[in-house]
Amino acid sequence: MTTVSDAFALLALPFAAAAVFVLMHAYLGVHVLRRRIVFADLALAQLSALGATVAFASGYAATSAAGFGYALLFTALGAALLTLTRTLARYVSQEAFVGIVYVVATAVTILVVDRAPQGAEHVKKILIGSILTVEPADVAKFAALYAVIGVLHWLARRPLLALSGEGAPKGRSRAAVWIWDLAFFLSFAIVVTSSVTTAGVLLVFSLLIVPAVIGSIFSDQLRVVLLIAWSAGIAACAAGLAASYTLDLPTGAAMVVAQAGFLLLAGLAKILLFVGIEQRSRNRRITLDALAIAALIALLASSAWLMIVPTGDQPMLALVESATGIGPTRFLGAGERDAYESAARDLVRFQGEVDRLDALEKAARYEGTPLSDDEVRRIASYQKTFNEMTRGERFVQEILRAKAQTRARWIIGVPGMLVALAGLLWLTRRYWNGYLAIRR
Amino acid sequence: MRAGLLGLVIGAAAQLAALLVSLPAAPAWAAVNVVATTTDLAALVSEVGGNLVTVESIVPAGVDPEAFEPRPGDLGKLRRADLLVRVGLGYDYWLDALVRQIDDKRLMRGGEANLDASTGIPLLEIRGQSVVNEGGHAHGVANPHYWLDPDNAITITANIADWLVRIAPAQREQILANRAGFLTRLEAARARWSTILAPYAGTKLIAYHNSWPYFARRFRLDVIAFIEPKAGVAPSPAHLARMISTGSKANVRAILHEPYEPDDASRLVARKLSVPMVRLAISVGSIEGTSDYLALFDYNVAKLAKALGARGP
Repeated sequence: MTTVSDAFALLALPFAAAAVFVLMHAYLGVHVLRRRIVFADLALAQLSALGATVAFASGYAATSAAGFGYALLFTALGAALLTLTRTLARYVSQEAFVGIVYVVATAVTILVVDRAPQGAEHVKKILIGSILTVEPADVAKFAALYAVIGVLHWLARRPLLALSGEGAPKGRSRAAVWIWDLAFFLSFAIVVTSSVTTAGVLLVFSLLIVPAVIGSIFSDQLRVVLLIAWSAGIAACAAGLAASYTLDLPTGAAMVVAQAGFLLLAGLAKILLFVGIEQRSRNRRITLDALAIAALIALLASSAWLMIVPTGDQPMLALVESATGIGPTRFLGAGERDAYESAARDLVRFQGEVDRLDALEKAARYEGTPLSDDEVRRIASYQKTFNEMTRGERFVQEILRAKAQTRARWIIGVPGMLVALAGLLWLTRRYWNGYLAIRR
Repeated sequence: MRAGLLGLVIGAAAQLAALLVSLPAAPAWAAVNVVATTTDLAALVSEVGGNLVTVESIVPAGVDPEAFEPRPGDLGKLRRADLLVRVGLGYDYWLDALVRQIDDKRLMRGGEANLDASTGIPLLEIRGQSVVNEGGHAHGVANPHYWLDPDNAITITANIADWLVRIAPAQREQILANRAGFLTRLEAARARWSTILAPYAGTKLIAYHNSWPYFARRFRLDVIAFIEPKAGVAPSPAHLARMISTGSKANVRAILHEPYEPDDASRLVARKLSVPMVRLAISVGSIEGTSDYLALFDYNVAKLAKALGARGP
């Protein structure tokens, strides 16, 4: 078994990298939100991934200087393209161009790596990243780079923030607006380019947007927004890493989902805690009602599903069974129940035999006298037989389960549906009362 | 004059007709077109077939056959094929869909031109899944990396020779002589490889992907764990931590890595255990210097022995 110290030894570096990313990206995210270019920034992240891919296909490592150069070039081109399309936005919504850029960048990425070895792996890696295996030198590089960009942004905070807030502020020439826009996009491109190869497009996008949104939920003031965004972002990254460790999940994807989880919590906290007393109790009631309605609709749907196709997959029923420990044997006769349970026992026994033979063969690879080819063939044929028998037992279980579900069809389905309908009617009673009153 | 011209025309036509009739028979040994799914099988086919065959592989060298997606050109290759040689065991599961598309009974599973090279191989790590397995992963019925045991090449080439003889019976002698020549070279090389790796019998290793059971059995190595928890799935941190702790407890001496898999996780485990990461070729042509079947083993054996010998046997 692994210990807590193992976990820390492994997760310290990814956490440090994530924290560095959050500090830079959440700040840029505030700008992105104010400029209303959320999807543009996803498109730019994908373009940066395309640049890294082109570098990869020409034989450069993604984290090398050449790799960075390619990625930066593509991102900068994308930024220029997006600035140009802003003038076209008069005729067609800019969203359309952003969408096209994103989809085409993704498709070209796939075309570029098509014949390269590791191509499919690379595409996946650029999406979900590899933050778990980040190296110490890389973290130091990110920290240094972001420190420089951070200082430059702090020095130029007035014009940059004014621009992000208003788009075309009064009292500034068009040239000045254009230059500051370019400066912003350039720094944005450098940041995204540096992080995409390590964190992946998904995580970079969520680090840009989610903490900034969480901050903006609670305040308008830049300082407060940033403080909240930074702490929420870092906490979410820690939660994602911890979940990835304890639940054995892929790290990048777990961190993205953790960000979303924190956003959900922040939203609930906002409507349940950070509003006036009266509003608060109203919101609490609405939330509870919404939860109850969702649960009742799920009950209604699965009761109906059980009645329509009793032998099909019944996800809700399976969930209840595994939560309560009450198996499908409840609706079986004594003989059938015995058959079901003996099938379960045999399944375990046969699997045990297969595993035992596996272990035997594996040990003989390097210990004692090696097995002859014929002995290996005999083991293989035993294992095939056991596997066939396992399949047979599983088939028996499935038949019995289908039988039990067919019997449960009306016994569970009808009451479930009635309870769900009654509950839904009661919860929406005010709406119905109003409707009936109007009819009268 | 007219008659002369007509005669000329008729004469020319007759000559042309004669030429057309004789064309199919013209080369006494029209090369047999063989399509193999992987470069390894293609390499073995060309050892046995020599200049009697032309061989193409569907999966290019250096591309992961388990993550391969066929493309339209592959249909053309199959249409021209006189013989199709596949790994089987679910490794090249995408082949069935391709063959169904060109609707050629000969090439279908069990057809007269479809050779499953796993026939007769002593298989390792039998699994209970059906042939087309969950999630499109290619370890179906048993572990499919059987060509990485050089002794299995004896069985594989026997099958190939049988099938080639059936297609070109006139070339029987040549085909059998080719195979015998290959087996002589294989035998000599095999003795050399065993000698080189003999000092490392029982050595514990960790591999990225479960590619090595047949290789390990033949050369008496112990691959204790895999960095990839399921094929194609990136390792989670808990899994990596387990690798590192079991690896250091078992005194693992090297990390084996396939050239087309992402190497950051392997590098991390190697760094934490301070052992070398050895990039070995699982297919002919996947690394420079592995251009044929014997070269593949020459390369892998030398590379592994060098990595393990660096710290003394």
